[in-house]
Amino acid sequence: MFSKIALSVGIASVMAFNVAAAETVRIGITQNNVGVDSYQTTYEKAFIEAANADENVEVVVLDAGGDVARQIGQMQDLIQQRVDAIIIWPTNGQAVIPAVRQAKSAGIPVIVTNSKIADAGMDFIAAFSGPDNIRQGAYSAEMMCDALDNKGQIVQIAGQPGYTTAIERAKGFEDRLAEACPEVKILETQPGDWNREKAQRTMENFLTKYDHIDGVYAGDDNMGVGALNAAKAANRDGIIFIGATNFAVGYEAMERGEYYGSVYQSPVDDARAALQTALDVLAGKDVPKLNYFDTPKITRDTLSQFDKPVF
Amino acid sequence: MTPIEQAESISSKLKLNRVSLKNFLTTQGILIVFIICLAGFSMFSDRFLSEENIMTVIRQASMIGIIAIGVTVVIIGGNLDLSVGSMLSFATVLVVDLHDKIGPTNAIIVMFAMTLLIGAINGLLIGYMKLNSLIVTLAMLSAIQGITLIYTGGQNVDIANQDATWFAVFGRGFVGGIAVPILMFAVLALCVHFVMRYTSYGRRIFAIGGNPTAAVYSGIRKSRCVFTTYMISAFSVGCAALVLGSRVMGSQNNVGQGYELLVLAGIILGGTSLMGGAGSVWKTVIGVLILGFIQNGLLLLGYPYYTQWLVTWVIIIVAVWLDLANQRKRLFTSHS
Repeated sequence: MFSKIALSVGIASVMAFNVAAAETVRIGITQNNVGVDSYQTTYEKAFIEAANADENVEVVVLDAGGDVARQIGQMQDLIQQRVDAIIIWPTNGQAVIPAVRQAKSAGIPVIVTNSKIADAGMDFIAAFSGPDNIRQGAYSAEMMCDALDNKGQIVQIAGQPGYTTAIERAKGFEDRLAEACPEVKILETQPGDWNREKAQRTMENFLTKYDHIDGVYAGDDNMGVGALNAAKAANRDGIIFIGATNFAVGYEAMERGEYYGSVYQSPVDDARAALQTALDVLAGKDVPKLNYFDTPKITRDTLSQFDKPVF
Repeated sequence: MTPIEQAESISSKLKLNRVSLKNFLTTQGILIVFIICLAGFSMFSDRFLSEENIMTVIRQASMIGIIAIGVTVVIIGGNLDLSVGSMLSFATVLVVDLHDKIGPTNAIIVMFAMTLLIGAINGLLIGYMKLNSLIVTLAMLSAIQGITLIYTGGQNVDIANQDATWFAVFGRGFVGGIAVPILMFAVLALCVHFVMRYTSYGRRIFAIGGNPTAAVYSGIRKSRCVFTTYMISAFSVGCAALVLGSRVMGSQNNVGQGYELLVLAGIILGGTSLMGGAGSVWKTVIGVLILGFIQNGLLLLGYPYYTQWLVTWVIIIVAVWLDLANQRKRLFTSHS
């Protein structure tokens, strides 16, 4: 009698599961640190909107608040909840690997979004979805070559030391610059910590140190605009400013003609690409390991083709 | 005068000279460190002592300097204020965000009101409720950062039309050829220096920092004094937020992060004792300037900026050690 009930309950739940699987998929996401910056805030909004637009998708949205331990806990919760796939925006590319492996052995595919995890973890993930920061750096280098007619001396204001994004962009920029226009020399590189005021201060010091600066490459527009502020205050005209991750302030500076170019990286595209990659993985499609969404160059001339960033 | 008397007189004169030189070295050690730094950097970089560079450094240092003046008063009163970094983020975000919404004048009024409110909360908890200042201001540091994030929802705030607003004067303006941030720094330093040195209010702050029990028995209202020191510190943060917001014409949520340490570094370097009851605004000004010149000098020499931290804190430790050695009258202590 007891076993009969157990059996029927079992069958019922299997049937329910099958029905559910046919209609909706449950995707859990654990994000890095929403609310700390505009990009991540917009990303979360866009992700929820994209998920709501698809009635077959149900999402569990979590945020680690920048805390690795909390993110690992959230991974374990999502595994317990038996979601169909987990999207993770790693707080730390190394520390989350054990949790990712745990998900894989529980049969739950993991999609890494925005920032890569360390190479040791690549075997445990189904796919990565995000921007190609090395290519972004290369794009900025190409724009710099064009703007300076392949000749000149520039300074670089990089992102926070230790951040993968900062390291990859600087590397992409330096490598491509040396290749595309070796006559353009980098005088000096200093970190601006993704902070506009810090970048402004760093640029003020560069302007004192070097009488002649032809161009500035900043790891993002926030810092680029800080550098622009410094040059304007010192009445140093004719400097070419090129950034990355186009911000609204950078877009506006381009409209005014004070800023040459940037790389257009939309958190909305980032979020949609992550969700789509997860859905493709669940649909059993042949998904490449690294999925880069398009982050095109944006300059004064191509400005009109892009919406002004919301951040 | 016999030859012996002559010799004695000469030797006593020499001794006097030696004592006063030693006295000068130990009391004004920080000034000497400052001059050595300046001389050292100028040997390696011909830009370092250019007028342009000196003005840049002082302008950059003035934001930290303005806050450090307020915090010096708190520290002389025997307490700490670690909440200034978060307060600066909050105040800057507030004044920049409200600038386009309610106009610059109103934005500045609201910003100062909110900043002083936070100062009052600090003052109430520490002055009247006698809670430990380290814990209270550390808690405020996190709490205010949280409030800032809630207020902005993580978004950056910007002033739309940078070139058309008179708000630019605080960070970018010049009066008589001198940058406004430097003027604000100088005026605030002079005012607070005067108050601390020449008024009975200033004396009372020194008294409660030096010996709180004696101060209370001599009729000083300690709670009220401590309360006012936090209001001064909050006011100085408001002034710095004006400069920062106007300079950048925008703000991130965490723009003031780490300022509490830079401010403390400047104060300690200047020689104000963290135990309270001793120190001066003038020394803090020197300390903050040393910090600024070291950072600038290392950058001009092409060192990556993390070396600044290493060098700065080594100098701080040495400065504190010299200060302590001066009090003990010897360089090393032994258990005897």
